[in-house]
Amino acid sequence: MQRDQSPTPHGTRMPGAGHAAIGPLHIVVCIKAVPKPEEVRVNLETRTLDRGSARTEINPADQHALEMALALRDRYGGRVSLLSMGPPLFIPYLRVGLAMGADDAYLLSDRAFGGADTLATSYTLAKGVERIGRETGGYDLVLCGEESSDGATAQVPPGLAEWLGVPQAMYAGAVSLEAARSGAASNGRRLRVRREIKGGHEVLRLPLPAVLSVATGANVPRFFDPARRPWAAAAHVVVWDAAALAVDPTLVGTFGSATQVAAVEQAGRAERRRVVIRGTPAEEARALATVIRGVLGNGQAAPRSPS
Amino acid sequence: MAAVEEIAGTLQAQEVQPIVLDDSRWEKVLAATGGWAAACLQCGLCSGVCPWGRVRSPDAPPVSVRHMVRAAQLGLGFDALPAGAPLWLCTTCRLCEVRCPRGVPVTEVVLGLRELAWQEPWLSEQVPPELAGVLWDVYWDGNPWGRPPSQRTVWARDLDLPSYDPASHEALYYVGCTAAYDRRAQQIARALVHVLRAAGIAFGTLGEAEPCCGDAAHSFGQRGYLAELVAANTRLFRERAGVPAEAGAALTPLLTTSPHCYDMFEQHYPGLRGVFRPVHYTQYLAELVEAGRLSFSARLPLQVTFHDPCVLGRGNGEFEAPRRLLQAIPGVELVEMAANRAEALCCGGGGGRMWLETPANERFGQLRLAQAQVTGASVLATACPYCVACLDDAVKVDAGNRPASAAGEDRGQGRASMRVLDVAEIAWMALSGPLPDTAPGISPGGTP
Repeated sequence: MQRDQSPTPHGTRMPGAGHAAIGPLHIVVCIKAVPKPEEVRVNLETRTLDRGSARTEINPADQHALEMALALRDRYGGRVSLLSMGPPLFIPYLRVGLAMGADDAYLLSDRAFGGADTLATSYTLAKGVERIGRETGGYDLVLCGEESSDGATAQVPPGLAEWLGVPQAMYAGAVSLEAARSGAASNGRRLRVRREIKGGHEVLRLPLPAVLSVATGANVPRFFDPARRPWAAAAHVVVWDAAALAVDPTLVGTFGSATQVAAVEQAGRAERRRVVIRGTPAEEARALATVIRGVLGNGQAAPRSPS
Repeated sequence: MAAVEEIAGTLQAQEVQPIVLDDSRWEKVLAATGGWAAACLQCGLCSGVCPWGRVRSPDAPPVSVRHMVRAAQLGLGFDALPAGAPLWLCTTCRLCEVRCPRGVPVTEVVLGLRELAWQEPWLSEQVPPELAGVLWDVYWDGNPWGRPPSQRTVWARDLDLPSYDPASHEALYYVGCTAAYDRRAQQIARALVHVLRAAGIAFGTLGEAEPCCGDAAHSFGQRGYLAELVAANTRLFRERAGVPAEAGAALTPLLTTSPHCYDMFEQHYPGLRGVFRPVHYTQYLAELVEAGRLSFSARLPLQVTFHDPCVLGRGNGEFEAPRRLLQAIPGVELVEMAANRAEALCCGGGGGRMWLETPANERFGQLRLAQAQVTGASVLATACPYCVACLDDAVKVDAGNRPASAAGEDRGQGRASMRVLDVAEIAWMALSGPLPDTAPGISPGGTP
């Protein structure tokens, strides 16, 4: 596609005007609906989270992944597809993503997928990504949130990259495309990914396609566009079951899971002591220091190094 | 063509960019502002009275409403203005509207331009990114504070508030998000519950099902999302209203803590007309006093000055109800600030500013406190959770800035010059005895 790269007449900065030539990108964003953390109860018998009583939201980290995908599409052009694995009750949450700006949505839904751990989940999602790629002329990038608020393992994004056999970069903070001389598979371009590490940051260059997890805090997820809501509410969400994905039945759901939850416990709530210190700021500071010294003296608050 | 290039070259040498006007932008500005952007004749009175001019340093670029409207009239992005635009600084206090010779509802213009700013790339960099987070909080949690919906009623755990029942209740109390979640504002709601009970009013709330009225979405110019909220909330309120009222029958009051929620229900919920009667609690309590259902017998010797919340006063024309209520309390002496009623200075918390940071030296609340201190009153009363928050902050900053006084005192710091109280709290004090004189925010009902 030939694009005009000349500066715009009145100097208004058009998004991506200087970069559009190395677009477009087809980005698949994995999103998940999760119970609101403060409303989750643990079912001690089934060793699972009891979602029935909890309100649900899009996993907050996944909203950062979707924002990054939309920003990349704004810059380079292309398409953003949403992918999720779960029951049909996830569909309304996919529609929220469509209203944020995604172009289409896919749900992988089958009873056989139930009870999957991160290994089986990443396998199933990989099969979904592959089929999306086959049906749409290929994918360039898969973006995930850094972890889910209910599982909090952060294992699915790297697992997905392994199943797909593509490069990965986790906790990406900033992502851009740049021209690459070699690598025919990448269509003459590659990814530049900046990620925060202890004491600094590193910049990675990856060929496409690739799987990234997006660091929470990398961006501020845009609010949905109310004008897109009617379209998003009626849009066709593609639902694929195990047969449609031609999965290996021994790799999905509980059969495909390498881990089992041996036990779960509900953490007790710490009761606050409700001590209120009153006085002038100086008096309050002195009183607070006395309390802290007292606690330190008991050895309860000795600093610990993070393990 | 060569001549044009030559001129352009000269302009570039002088670092002046030619302005190219775009008529399609004007069409959008006109539509978003209900045509009002056209009515502005650029006299500049709005910029002159805008409270931002009083808090900004004289060296800083002026905050100019007039420049912003002119840029919009020309379809220019606000980065074309040397000082930027006060689009997101505006607290929608409507002080400029009182003066505008053309009667331009400047707030409507500002909200219309904010709506455009969400949609139009030539304005979009103007939207403060944190506002999207507030809207997500309303969407996922049903309140703009990002607090769990399951904790909406925690403030009233010990009060046994019944769920609203149209058959047995004469009022529906809409607590509102700020009064439900903010620790300071919870005290206002608790005081109000005690006053209503003292007056023998049978009322209920929607409990955890109480939705956000949409004030934040409205003040951010998110009209599309507001329409969704209004539609959903109207359905909920109509369901809970029970049997439709007969023609001519008195409507059940929909009583709010915050004038912002009252303003939303009164001005932006056409579907509630004929179902509920939105009323701010100061109006409702004043009605109860006048109907003889609420009376104050004990003396409460207190010198009080009253700060008019913009949304209640200039926004909805209600200046007198809170004053009538205060004056119904024996012993309360009401002392007016020089700028009162339609001339009142904004606290700085409206128009979405509650969710945006303002440096301490640029907060209107600081000026307002200074105006209140001049009256000699010991209590700065108001009737809005946002005003209470902003004025309480002003008292704290003021206390911290005060110089050393008596020997032995810690540099004179931490002594509040005035106490900020909501009218509901003063009413409850009058019925129950003085509030403990500790920190602002302790009600006779106790802290949850």
